[in-house]
Amino acid sequence: MSNDKMLSIDEILAGLKKATEGVKKQPGLMKSIVGYLDVVSTYVERIATAKEEGKWVASHGTQQPLEILEAMDVRGVFNEFWGVVSDIVRLESVPEAMSVSASTGTPGEVCSFFRNMDGLMHAGKWPRSDFFLYATSCCDNVKAFHTLGRRYGIPSFGLERSYFPYTDHAMEHWKNEYKRLIVFLEEQTGKKLDYDRLKEVVARSYRLTELHLEIDKLVSHVPCPLSPECFSGTLVAIRLLPGTQKGIDFLTGLRDELKERIDKGVSAVKDERFRVMWTSFTPFFDPTLMGFMQQKYGAVSVCDMLSHWRGDAKWMLDPDDPLGNLAYRTVLAPGNCQYSSGVDVAANLSDKARRFKVDGAIFNNNFGCKTGAAYGPIIKDELMCEVSVPTLTLNCDVLDHTFVSRAEIESQMDSFFEMLETSKAYKERRNLQ
Amino acid sequence: MNTPLKALDEMIRLTSPFPESVSVKDWKATGRKVIGWFNPYIPEEIIHAAGMLPFEVTGNNEPVEMQGAEAHMHSNCCSKIRTCWQMQLDGKYKFLDGLVSCSMCDQDMRLFEVWAYYKKLPYMDSLYAPRKRDEVAIKLYLADLEDFRSRLSQYLICRIPDEHIANSIQVYNRGRELMHQLYELRKRDRPPVAGAEALEVSKAAARLPRERFNELLEQLLDEIQRSGREIKKAKRLMIIGSDLHNANQMAALETLDAVVVVDEMDIGIRRAWGQVDTQLPPMEALARYYVMGRPVDKHTWNSDGRLEFIGDMAEQYKVDGILSEIVRFCTYDGWDKFDLKKQMEQRGIPILEIDLEYGHPAGAQVKIRAEAFMEMLESRAS
Repeated sequence: MSNDKMLSIDEILAGLKKATEGVKKQPGLMKSIVGYLDVVSTYVERIATAKEEGKWVASHGTQQPLEILEAMDVRGVFNEFWGVVSDIVRLESVPEAMSVSASTGTPGEVCSFFRNMDGLMHAGKWPRSDFFLYATSCCDNVKAFHTLGRRYGIPSFGLERSYFPYTDHAMEHWKNEYKRLIVFLEEQTGKKLDYDRLKEVVARSYRLTELHLEIDKLVSHVPCPLSPECFSGTLVAIRLLPGTQKGIDFLTGLRDELKERIDKGVSAVKDERFRVMWTSFTPFFDPTLMGFMQQKYGAVSVCDMLSHWRGDAKWMLDPDDPLGNLAYRTVLAPGNCQYSSGVDVAANLSDKARRFKVDGAIFNNNFGCKTGAAYGPIIKDELMCEVSVPTLTLNCDVLDHTFVSRAEIESQMDSFFEMLETSKAYKERRNLQ
Repeated sequence: MNTPLKALDEMIRLTSPFPESVSVKDWKATGRKVIGWFNPYIPEEIIHAAGMLPFEVTGNNEPVEMQGAEAHMHSNCCSKIRTCWQMQLDGKYKFLDGLVSCSMCDQDMRLFEVWAYYKKLPYMDSLYAPRKRDEVAIKLYLADLEDFRSRLSQYLICRIPDEHIANSIQVYNRGRELMHQLYELRKRDRPPVAGAEALEVSKAAARLPRERFNELLEQLLDEIQRSGREIKKAKRLMIIGSDLHNANQMAALETLDAVVVVDEMDIGIRRAWGQVDTQLPPMEALARYYVMGRPVDKHTWNSDGRLEFIGDMAEQYKVDGILSEIVRFCTYDGWDKFDLKKQMEQRGIPILEIDLEYGHPAGAQVKIRAEAFMEMLESRAS
């Protein structure tokens, strides 16, 4: 079986370098795109150079206390991000990795983030990992970490998170799971966790949260100042470089640029006709789709489910209790808080739709995601009922661009935006007759 | 042709029509409540101790048309939960007073949420069951069980006392003991019951008042002993994987020269294995049993023990081959496939993997594959 399209870490780094050079020459883009790509490149480079710098590498999934890894010189490879960055660098990599995965017997119905990892591991193209870390309250796919760990002889540790994490006993349990994780990491690395260092990392991480919330406010401005090339910039900083000065510098720059754009009246698109919320993930499988929507329909992506803090996100409860703070942080954090009740997620999204003045929603129904498959309709109905926001459901695969044709997507979008424009709620929201 | 088993016929009569059966109607006629559940980590004992009938929400022996269900859950949800939801939409579960689920299987949890959102019942509850098997997991699960007991007590406006739970544990332990005896009989060279019959017994366990089920199972075991019943088939099979409630499908398989002697399903062997420790405080005993007392299942992150259990059972029951049936979109089964096949190969046990939709009959395609598998087993033997 061919594996020449599957990306190695070196090819990803080279691709990102080329992309950075490319955006510098491209007019009309936000300045922060350079910082954005720098954050992504730094993340990948840190993984590539970990061994020679005496650091460890942990492949992991969602809901991890990444600050603990940072404070223990463990560099994370977030399996979902690896699929996303592969799509950015070379769209053909993921389908090929998934066909390798299928050849091992892994069914095509499981999540592509994991099938991509499975295929790359089988082909020897997954970043070298010292251990696997995983956690969940509901996603069944994380079992893959244990399974693949067993297959390739890589130690793994799973964090058990309650489905309803906000009770006292659930939060205490979650914090205790971190203590067990630290024991595991100390055993694997032979190093003790320095709690003073952890406090410093946690403090920087909280600064990232504050910046994220500031940026959210700016992005909710009408017309939206954030262009697609920098969409998810906050998520990138928080998920890839949490508790680092580099992450803070990038978000500070992004915030300042957004302020400047608002002051100067610069927006993502000249004529903002629609404000769109992605109610599951953004279209990772087609990195050009948001730009296309903006150009063709004047539809600006203003927010999504993944870049979402639950509640008011004030998670720094006690600066001297870094583990307690982190336990709270990870259940509120972007990319984590959707691992719960669909009704809860829908309520949060309704609130977000109000704050970001959303006209329409798009729900990417990822073929391999059973969580989303069942709560998609609840989100759709709740948004319509609570905030009169209609939803377009796109059946797709989170990473595989071959799952659905671009023509099919465009055809559905044509109908959706046409319907949206003539809807009563839209006209009222825009004061149109 | 073996003589029918009277006690089994009575179980089927009492659990028919499905789901609002003779026994459900009798139960409701006395003013008592029925609580539906659909995950093996819901301790029926607590519902039983509350004086209510725990009833497993499932499909049954006939496939269900699911167009309506797909308005509320997309078609990439597993067909088991879509079947159950469609049955609710069709009014088949209108007798339920409440529903309890568990996030151990995300699909089960999502069915619960859809039910809660679109058709809320007077009592709706969910638990978290751990995916690890250790003391910490027991503690977490026990805390959730205590919360469940409190909420159910509030619904009843009456505290469910420890003594009632201890009594229910004894009733359910007796049921497990009897089911285990039936499994032991199936180790015989000529087992007394077919796999399809044994499946009907397992289903009845979660559909009848447990005391009545125990009585009938005692009668069934007695009948088997007295009748000297034997199933004479050339090949012995094991069924593993997703829970299947369609006994017709298994019966179709057994029209070949084979009998299913053991399984590895939550609705089968796990319902019959182990005992809740009656020496411990009852709630703790339940937590220990449900987390650690049963064979490792596919929901547990570390499924090494599951694969080992499958291999051990296959050897103990002297099976000629294993049929691994996976309902499409079952993530847990999907991730075990690779290592399962490898480990069974190492033990020299052939395995046939079949992907199917829940509730569907053994159609021509499945039958052809099963026949080819049988031929392969035959050629190995010769």
